[in-house]
Order: sequence, then structure tokens, then C-alpha cells
Amino acid sequence: MFFISIIRTIKFALQNFWRNIWLSLVTIIILLLTLIFVSVLSALNLLGDQAIKSVQDKVDIDVFFITDSTSDQLATAKGIIESYPEVKDVTYITTDQALENFKVAHADDEQILASLDELEENPLPASFVIKAKKLNQYDAIIQRLDGESFKELILSRDFQDNAVLINRISQITTRLTQVGIGVSILFAVISFLVVFNTMRIAIYTHREEVGIMRLVGATNWFIRGPFMWESLLYAVLASVLTMALLYPAALVASPYVNAFFEGYTFDFVLFIRSNFWQIFLVQMAVSLGLSMLSSMVAITRYLKV
Amino acid sequence: MIDFKNVTKEYGKDTAAVKNVSLHISAGEFVTIVGQSGTGKTTLAKLMIAEERPTRGSIVIGGWDITHIRHYEIPVLRRQMGVIYQDFKLLQKKKVFENVAFASEVSGTPSKKIHKIVPQVLKIVGLEKQVDKFPRQLSGGEQQRVAIARSLVHRPKIILADEPTGNLDSINAQDIINLLLKINKFGTTVVLVTHNHDIVNSLRKRVITMDHGMIISDQKHGKYIL
Repeated sequence: MFFISIIRTIKFALQNFWRNIWLSLVTIIILLLTLIFVSVLSALNLLGDQAIKSVQDKVDIDVFFITDSTSDQLATAKGIIESYPEVKDVTYITTDQALENFKVAHADDEQILASLDELEENPLPASFVIKAKKLNQYDAIIQRLDGESFKELILSRDFQDNAVLINRISQITTRLTQVGIGVSILFAVISFLVVFNTMRIAIYTHREEVGIMRLVGATNWFIRGPFMWESLLYAVLASVLTMALLYPAALVASPYVNAFFEGYTFDFVLFIRSNFWQIFLVQMAVSLGLSMLSSMVAITRYLKV
Repeated sequence: MIDFKNVTKEYGKDTAAVKNVSLHISAGEFVTIVGQSGTGKTTLAKLMIAEERPTRGSIVIGGWDITHIRHYEIPVLRRQMGVIYQDFKLLQKKKVFENVAFASEVSGTPSKKIHKIVPQVLKIVGLEKQVDKFPRQLSGGEQQRVAIARSLVHRPKIILADEPTGNLDSINAQDIINLLLKINKFGTTVVLVTHNHDIVNSLRKRVITMDHGMIISDQKHGKYIL
């Protein structure tokens, strides 16, 4: 009997949906717009984070040491630098490794390689590549290095500061997020009101039917059921349509996004494909949350059972 | 079957629709409740189907004390009672068969059973050939028959008819009363609320007369005395 009742409430919901098809479509479109804004906002956040991460990966301090430095002295210095709380890791590049790297980097340039062979000694100094835990900690590391006893061994220091670029990306992302959140909230409120109103109209149109249901002994959940199914249907259709629209849009945008991240291991379409169900479920959760909540408020308020 | 003990229903202070009413209706009885407009007849009917709660007193229907009936128990009570109103309360977009079947559908009756019962009740009310018509294609009397058929699908022990002939001419009204008498003969208790003198006088059944919310007369084979 319970199963039969569920099937019947679904049947009534589908009838309601179809009989008020234009109202149903408007409700779905509004939910769809909300989901699109939330999705675009999430994509912008993701791309912004990815951009910052990509730049961050390239930031480090290269410290070059004089050729007279002994390996013991450098090992001690490495240990001291590694103990800094701001330091994530220190890579020691010996003179031999530096020469090897140089040769690899200039493998196509015979002139440079020939002139290198002419030299009796390896001219390249040993160096440390220091990475900080956070982007804003590089200044603190440089200050510490300046105060160390092995300061005399340091030949030169190379710190390519990408802070300006990172701040810029961060600012744009933050601003976009703020605008996106604002627009999403606005659409969420509009969606809530539209679903609420749709339900109110549906309840009003079915007031006679509801009255007869009560008269002939329909349970409360049976009377409310069709309206809840209807709002569930709006949410599911809006989520499916959003994915159906956004996925091709992502395919179109992908070459441009990937071009922006050229040289980095980020593929926009691959990301969407591998996270398809998570994205769909988040959209469904947002859509269901909005639709069911507003329906429940409308039903509690207008459907007296 | 139906027991009212000192039942009072007040709508705010000093506005009592029903005052200290006590009555007993046995199973299988045909009882007419009469009285002029605003005397509390409909409130009494509403109290029977738990659409209203008594302010004081107790109500027992079929051994079930519904004085403090819980909200979720009301549908169970209503499936044991068939209710008929003056305005028929039919769904205009549904055909005769669908209107009658609707009562069974909402209570979770399997489709197979619905298709068995609905033609049976439509035959009882004499509408077996009108199954595919919409209410607007029927006369007032026929529409009331559909409402009666709908009230019968749950095989109720009690039929409560609140002014069922109010919108009908005398011939159709008499047909409806005859139908209620026929249903009563099957053993169903019938409570008829009306202010139609002719019908009450022709029935020669028990008549409970109400005035100002109180029972002023209860005659076994009564007449309309107001």
C-alpha cells in the first residue's frame, strides 16, 4: 500500500507539473540560472587558485656560495637553514651538479660547451635552492640569511619576486569571488521566491482537490507528497540541464584555459571529467536545498491538512 | 455507534455553536438532524468527522474516543465514514469513474481492487452507464449520486449527509433520500442533516431537532416540529 501511494503521489506530481508547464519551466530556468552562477563562480575560484599555485611553485631563493666553501661548511649551513620555521625544503646543488645542469641546459650550444672545456676548473659555484612554506615568508628567510655566521661564504643571492603577480591574481580572484557570491546569493533568493510562488499557485489551484482528499481520508503526507515530488523534479531537471549546458561550454572554453596554464600540469576538461559526479552532486545539493526548502515553507504556510 | 456526551463547541467566549449536547445513535439507524440555519447542525456534523474539536464533553465513534483524536489519526476515521455535502464536492476535470476512484486512490487501494469496487458502487447509485461523463454533463441529482458513490467506496459504517438535497429539486431530492434509505437497508448508519420539512415528514425515522445549539427534541418516528 505504501509503495502504491508513493507511485500515486509521483503520478499526481507529474500531472501538476504538466498542467502548469509554463510555470514549471520558469521555475526550472530560474534554478538553472542560479546553478550556472554558482558553477561559474566555483570554476573561477578553481582557476584563480590554480594560477596562484602555478606561480607559487616557481618562487624560490637561489643562494650561491664561493668556491672556497668546504662541503662541511655547506652541510652545516644547510642544516641551519632547514631549521628555520619558514623553510619548506633546501636543495643542495653541488658544483658538479651545477656543471651538469648547465651542460644539459646548453646542450645545443656547442660554442658554450667548447669554451667550458677550455677552462681548467669548474667555474660554477655550489648553491642552495630554498623554498618557503608560505609566499610571504621569503623576506624573513632573506633577513635570517643576512644575520648568519656563514654569510661570508655567500657569493650571491637570487630571489625572483613574483609577489606582485601573485597579489594581482589573488586580488582579481577575490574580487570575482565577491561579485560571484553576491550574484549567486541574489539568484538563490530569486529562486527561493520563484519556487515558493510556484508552490503557492499549485496549492491554490489544487485547493478543491486537497479539500476532497482530506474529506475521503488521505493522509497528510499523501496530500503534501505531490508538491514535494514536484519541487524535487524541478531541482533534478535544473541540475541535469545545468550540466548539459555547462559541459559543452567547458569544452569550448578549455583550449583558452589550457593555453593560459601552458607549461603547467592543468587540464580543464580533464578536471571536469574526473570530478563530474562531485560537481553534479554539489549542483544537485544546491538545487535540492533551495527547491525543497522553499516548497516546505510554502506547504507549511498554505497547505492546511 | 455514535456517542456524544455533554458536548459543547465554542468559538471564542460566549459564542457556543453546540451546547451541552448528548446523544446516542445505534448501528444501522437512520437519523435526521433538523433545525433552522445557525442552530449547530453542521457543527455537530463537523464534530463527528473531527473537522472540529469539542470544547467540552466527549465524542465516541464506533467505540473510538475521538475527543482528543490526533492529527494523523483523522484520515483513519474519515475512511470509516462517508461524507456527502450540499455542493457535491466533485472534481470537474475528472470523469465519474475517476471521481469515485479518487477516494480509493488517495487511501492506497490497489488499482485492481479499485476497478472492481467502483463499478459496484456506481451500480448501487444507478450510474453504471455514466462512467465516462464529466460532472458538468450530469444533472444535480446525478452529481449527488456520484458523491454518494464516492462516499461508499471505503464501505463505511456511517454515512453523514449534510444537506445533500439542498441544491436539488423535489424529485431529485426524493431520489437521493431513497438512495440513502437503500444504503441504510444494507446496514449502514445514516445521519442526515437537513432543514427540508417534506423529506423529514415523509421519512418517519428518528428526528433530532436542534435549536440554539441544543437538542430540543429527539423523536423515534418524528416530524419536523419547528
